[in-house]
Amino acid sequence: MKEVTLELLKQCANNLLFDMDQEQYQTLLEEFATLFKQMELIGKIEDIDSVTPLTFPYPCQSYLREDIEGETLTLEETLKNAKEVEDNQIKLPKVVL
Amino acid sequence: MNFEAVIGIEIHVEMKTKSKMFSSSPNYFGASPNTLVSPLDMAFPGTMPTVNKQAVINAIRVSNLLNMEIDHTLYFDRKNYFYSDLPKGYQITQNDRPIGKNGYVIIDSLDGKKKIEIERLHMEEDTCKQLHLSTYTLLDYNRAGTPLIEIVSRPDIKNGYEAMKYVDKIREIVVFSNVSDGKMEEGSLRCDVNISLRPVGESKFGTKVEIKNLNSVSNVQKAIDFEIRRQSGILLSGGIISQETRRFDETKKETVLMRKKTDSVDYKYFREPNIAPIYLSDEFVQKAIDTCLPSLDQKRDYYLSLGLNIDEANQVLLSFEMSNYFDKLIEGKKYVKTLWNLLMGEVLSYLNKNEIEINDFIVTPSNLVTLASLIDSGEISFNQGKKILQEMVKNDDDPKKIQEVLGLKQNSNLGDIESFCKEAIKNNPQSISDYKNGKDRAFSFLVGQVMKLSKGKVNPQLVSKVMKELIDKE
Repeated sequence: MKEVTLELLKQCANNLLFDMDQEQYQTLLEEFATLFKQMELIGKIEDIDSVTPLTFPYPCQSYLREDIEGETLTLEETLKNAKEVEDNQIKLPKVVL
Repeated sequence: MNFEAVIGIEIHVEMKTKSKMFSSSPNYFGASPNTLVSPLDMAFPGTMPTVNKQAVINAIRVSNLLNMEIDHTLYFDRKNYFYSDLPKGYQITQNDRPIGKNGYVIIDSLDGKKKIEIERLHMEEDTCKQLHLSTYTLLDYNRAGTPLIEIVSRPDIKNGYEAMKYVDKIREIVVFSNVSDGKMEEGSLRCDVNISLRPVGESKFGTKVEIKNLNSVSNVQKAIDFEIRRQSGILLSGGIISQETRRFDETKKETVLMRKKTDSVDYKYFREPNIAPIYLSDEFVQKAIDTCLPSLDQKRDYYLSLGLNIDEANQVLLSFEMSNYFDKLIEGKKYVKTLWNLLMGEVLSYLNKNEIEINDFIVTPSNLVTLASLIDSGEISFNQGKKILQEMVKNDDDPKKIQEVLGLKQNSNLGDIESFCKEAIKNNPQSISDYKNGKDRAFSFLVGQVMKLSKGKVNPQLVSKVMKELIDKE
């Protein structure tokens, strides 16, 4: 498992365009340390290969929606947050993946 | 050294539902940019996805037609990546539990029937459409959230021809089950091909190259055949195949490099927490299957049973919409051949000339059936029927009324026909002699003379019959 260091947290914060003070970084490091200890304990539990992973905290289910057209945003609403618009489309610097 | 190609194909099919996969925004092609967008499609905070019932029914139908095991519990997962085509920062898909798995289709390969195994079929949402211009990119979110099914084959395909047949078979299945319009040129059926070469007899796979954005079935074949030649050339000259993504250049008829591949991307899949499991009852799944439209093969068999030949049946089946119109025409199982002739002759030519689709054709099936009944009963000739049809396409008027207005009636009076025939025989002794000497064309000429004398009003079938009798008596 990747080691969580102060440098890594600062790099992650920078990537996410925010920063924290020293005390907050220290709290986060301690939380990660606790979390890793808990993971180690869980890792020691034996014979769990046949156990279905729990993805929801209690039995629940969703339902299917009827295929009926609903309301949409107006064009103005859709484009409201865009910095630049051209031909009613959102304009971005070219980034081809 | 001989090489064999190992080819796997991923096909994305856009479903033609009324609304999107996880939101109720309208779902159709060709709307003005960014007009079919809901808060969920733009990932506005506080929005929650809901699963489209019809999309699930469609996925069950296609899974069944592909002979797959159908999962009766739906789970969805998040595929996380950061890119401008995906406002949420993740795509909702089915990674762990595809709705369909372990299926197959049978295709006609060059060596006969061949089974192509299909690993999985899953549902997911489409991304927004990006238009990459020279220095910038434009985004249209109309497509974001369009319901998709992705069909992943196992690497059973060996050449371009098999790949073409496989994609065509999948297209036929999704079109005739009414799940998608399957238009590759509009992007509603998109396929990516993975291809590697290995020496014949070798069990280890070679380095895989991906070919993206193939926009027609014939380009699938051309791209693969080119890629096999390209990779063989490199390997035979001692080179190494690099792992890369390529695209097919239609002008050059070759694949060109898009990008080199590095390590595979880790999408950090995890269960979509906003959609709890959905349990499908056996009854729900069975009903989805039972209410599926007939397959192309079933329709073909039906047409053959009604007297069409294989070429005629296949011609109607080239278009799903055309075959649906034809199905309405032959509901009464009458006048089948005449209806086929009218539809694939006069009607199709009218549609092509006026650049309209059969769905927009004004003439109702019941009126076309009435026209065919007039022709088959001998009331009017086929040519007179064509004249009536030319009027019907204007206002979908009753063909019987048009017949009355135009004064079109076929003369089937045997006495009249006999006197026309006698006149033609008298005027054309050379043709009689030619016919008796084995020139069949002379007979057609004589029938034509009778039609001319009667101004096209006599029944041509009866003319042939009477003419033959009269000549035989001579």
